[in-house]
Amino acid sequence: MQKVYGLTVSVMTVLALLYAFQNYYPEFMHLFSNAFPPVISGGAVIVSGLSLERYWRKAKGPFSKAWFYFTLGLFFWFMGEAIWAGYTLVLGVEVPYPSIADVFWLAGYIPFFIALYLYVKIFGCALTKKTLAASMVTTIVLTIIVTGVLLVPVLGAEEDLLVEVADFAYPLLDLALFSVAHLGLILFWKGKLGKPWFLINLAIAMDTCADILFSYLTAHNAYYCGHMLELLYHFSYLLFMLAFYLHAKEL
Amino acid sequence: MNQERSMFEKALVEAIDEGLLMLGEGGREVVYFRLRHSYALSKEDVPAHPEIFIECLRKIFGSGSKAIEKTIIKGLYSKLGLTYAEKKNFDFFEYLNEAKKQLGL
Repeated sequence: MQKVYGLTVSVMTVLALLYAFQNYYPEFMHLFSNAFPPVISGGAVIVSGLSLERYWRKAKGPFSKAWFYFTLGLFFWFMGEAIWAGYTLVLGVEVPYPSIADVFWLAGYIPFFIALYLYVKIFGCALTKKTLAASMVTTIVLTIIVTGVLLVPVLGAEEDLLVEVADFAYPLLDLALFSVAHLGLILFWKGKLGKPWFLINLAIAMDTCADILFSYLTAHNAYYCGHMLELLYHFSYLLFMLAFYLHAKEL
Repeated sequence: MNQERSMFEKALVEAIDEGLLMLGEGGREVVYFRLRHSYALSKEDVPAHPEIFIECLRKIFGSGSKAIEKTIIKGLYSKLGLTYAEKKNFDFFEYLNEAKKQLGL
């Protein structure tokens, strides 16, 4: 298990260094920034798919259903990454946003939400009304904060309606995932499943931060391929991979 | 008395077997595997050491184990022909003792 943690931290460090010193190799960075996301998201699909295969082979129980949706969600995100890479590397579009890639990214949230919901629902009766109420208040507060943070920069940028919708949709959909995922963390925190659920929550938190930053930066035309915020997306996929690997090890 | 105790133990083993199915057969096997390898306890020994079984569940699922415990208790009460009524602050062991008391064990 230590090896897997070590490998994850090493990959994260290498990625951070690669982005930190990108001024020395701008052309490579442009290629890497666009070609790496399909690789890492494809890796996440494979790890999730292996868990799915394992749960499916053992028995078609609740975990196999949840992992089917996790894998489907990650597959949609992989498609989004691949299409983005196609736009930038093949068609030469600088920042293809919004594009067909967004259709896949946004679609991916649906199965991912279903997966989290199906999983947490199994253990739902262990959650007290007080916990559920606190969780709901937290989610509402976070939604208000995120909307508040984005309202002025996004609406002030006078973008197309479609772009404005996408700017708000990603962070808010991330929060929808978080609203269920953190219940899983509360449920399993003290158990062996606590680690994978912590990592799932951390991955979603990173995605949320990355999407808020992306919306903000694109509204100000300040996003470019190779921007440091991409690290958050890469880390998020890595954390999902680690979480699914650990879950399959524990259960 | 011995016959009733044996009936109780058999019902508990069955209730555990069925209750763990909420995790799917794979999940149930993992719990039994952990029980055997980490606690040297087979499922048939659980009625004699329910505290070990619950510890094993809580080590894997944390607070989430309460959902499994509840399903098991409901199943047990149903098998024993007892009425299950949810009681505040009652844990797995208190429900077990309550059932035993009602059966006069």
